[in-house]
Amino acid sequence: MIIEVKDLHFSYGPIMAIDGVSLSLDEGAVGLLGPNGAGKSTLLRVLLGFLRPQRGEGRVFGRDIRFEQRLIRRQVGYMPEDDCLIPGMDAVSFTSFFGELSGMPRQEAMKRAHDVLFYVGLGESRYRLLETYSAGMKQRLKLAQAIVHDPRLLFLDEPTSNLDPQGRKEVLDLILDISSKKDISVLICSHILSDIEAVCSDVVILNKGRLAAHGKIGELRRLDFRLYELKVKGDEQRLIDRIGRLGWPVEATEEGLLRVYVPPQGEILNIFRAADEEGLQVRHFVRSQTSLEDLFARAVGVD
Amino acid sequence: MTIREKGYFHWEGPLRERRFAWWPITRLGLRLAFKKKGFKFLYFGSFIPALVFLVGIYISERIGEFRYMIRGSSQLLEVNPAFFKTYYTSDFLLFMMVMLMVVGGAGLVADDLRHNALQLYFSRPLEKRDYLAGKASVLVALLLSLTLLPGLAFIIFKLLFSGSFRFIADYPWILLSVAAYSAAVTAFFCLYTLLLSSLSRNRRYVSILLFAVYLVSDILFGIFYGNFKNPAFALLSLKANLQQAGAFLFRQKLPYDIPAGWSILILAAVGAAAWLVVNKRVRSVEVVK
Repeated sequence: MIIEVKDLHFSYGPIMAIDGVSLSLDEGAVGLLGPNGAGKSTLLRVLLGFLRPQRGEGRVFGRDIRFEQRLIRRQVGYMPEDDCLIPGMDAVSFTSFFGELSGMPRQEAMKRAHDVLFYVGLGESRYRLLETYSAGMKQRLKLAQAIVHDPRLLFLDEPTSNLDPQGRKEVLDLILDISSKKDISVLICSHILSDIEAVCSDVVILNKGRLAAHGKIGELRRLDFRLYELKVKGDEQRLIDRIGRLGWPVEATEEGLLRVYVPPQGEILNIFRAADEEGLQVRHFVRSQTSLEDLFARAVGVD
Repeated sequence: MTIREKGYFHWEGPLRERRFAWWPITRLGLRLAFKKKGFKFLYFGSFIPALVFLVGIYISERIGEFRYMIRGSSQLLEVNPAFFKTYYTSDFLLFMMVMLMVVGGAGLVADDLRHNALQLYFSRPLEKRDYLAGKASVLVALLLSLTLLPGLAFIIFKLLFSGSFRFIADYPWILLSVAAYSAAVTAFFCLYTLLLSSLSRNRRYVSILLFAVYLVSDILFGIFYGNFKNPAFALLSLKANLQQAGAFLFRQKLPYDIPAGWSILILAAVGAAAWLVVNKRVRSVEVVK
């Protein structure tokens, strides 16, 4: 396990940001999902030791997040969500500076800065002043400074925000390359579900500071529920209410479809019985491939 | 723009625990300050008084050769504690120190706040004290080069030009006074600059504040003193307090008729308050959003 937390609590004054989260994360790429205010960024900051949990405990690489932050940060790279730079610097000196702060010798940090800047695609513009960089270049720069000291684990907070589709694809390619071929584990915090789906094998979903779901995306899709799409003739609201009484979440799409989340022990015949009892005709019924959006919606509540 | 023109390689070397983790921050701060042409001009211009005083020391030892130039003002060229006090508490030197802080120190913390760089620093094996020590050391290096360095140079050149140790024998405490005043004025300006730099994300506001607080405090003193003729109003002025402290440490007559302890207390209180605020600002603004 690279990350283990037990009963973690953190609040900003009266606002509970993390409320009793317990989880264990293995090596690989893990997506941290949740709506705004779910506690994703706070969890990253607690794991980095920026914030001290009020209750509970956690370990990163076996190091206690409350007392051994320095040792943790030596092995971890962090790419924050906000644009970060030091005005007056170029990318080479910026990246090597942070390598040096991580404990690399000065000369080595400089050599390494050149390498990682080429790797993230900033090789040609590495001597330009950072103030002149575009949003996409700043994202790459943040990634470069996060990997300059060759960390074992990368925390990426919204790595594709402010990027155009092409830039987003390139950054995702880089992250995929890092996590799959470079033996570096990645924890990506994002609200763009397709990004997580493209890069991660595991997912952690937070909602209102609590753990809503956790596991491999494939297994969660399989085990957590089955998704069926159906179309009925008649007042679909009656069917929604009826199925809702079974405790199965239902949502109506803009295309006039009903999406029913059937729990593992649920019997699909109940849907047809309900329709029959409400005098509705089922015109279309198909098992749908669950996407991460479905999983997310199910975990945080479809309402 | 293509990606991966070069592959990613693992770095095999060890990551060292630095004894002075703040040193790269100091080096960077000095490098960025000296990248500005205006700063270089100001910094080297600040050494003009020191050069003039060094020439004064030389002339004082060759007084016979320069008698036609000084025409009976030879007491001005007597190298004694008053000579040091005159250098250290001169309006020009104090003004140049403030200007150096304005140009070279205003952005130290403000730029990091504005560009969200604090979280990058603190995602490294770095404590807040390392960060603050790194930033403070930039100012300490600049200020000590204008205070301690010239003071030591004055003593050394006095001994060299006179060819005897009589000066040290007459004033054995002068080295201590030079060190104490240099440390005091450096610590004060350092905390004063860090305080104002941490209060805003905009370095221009900080620059204006640095200059304005120093100037306005002195103007206020002038206005109140002009109206009420009460020397206690000197406590309002940062410059007057520094001059009081300087006169006290060099055992000279105080420029204002108030106890030097009060001035030292005011400077210490400003410094302590600055430290508390800086400590809070650097912790709360960026790390806890």
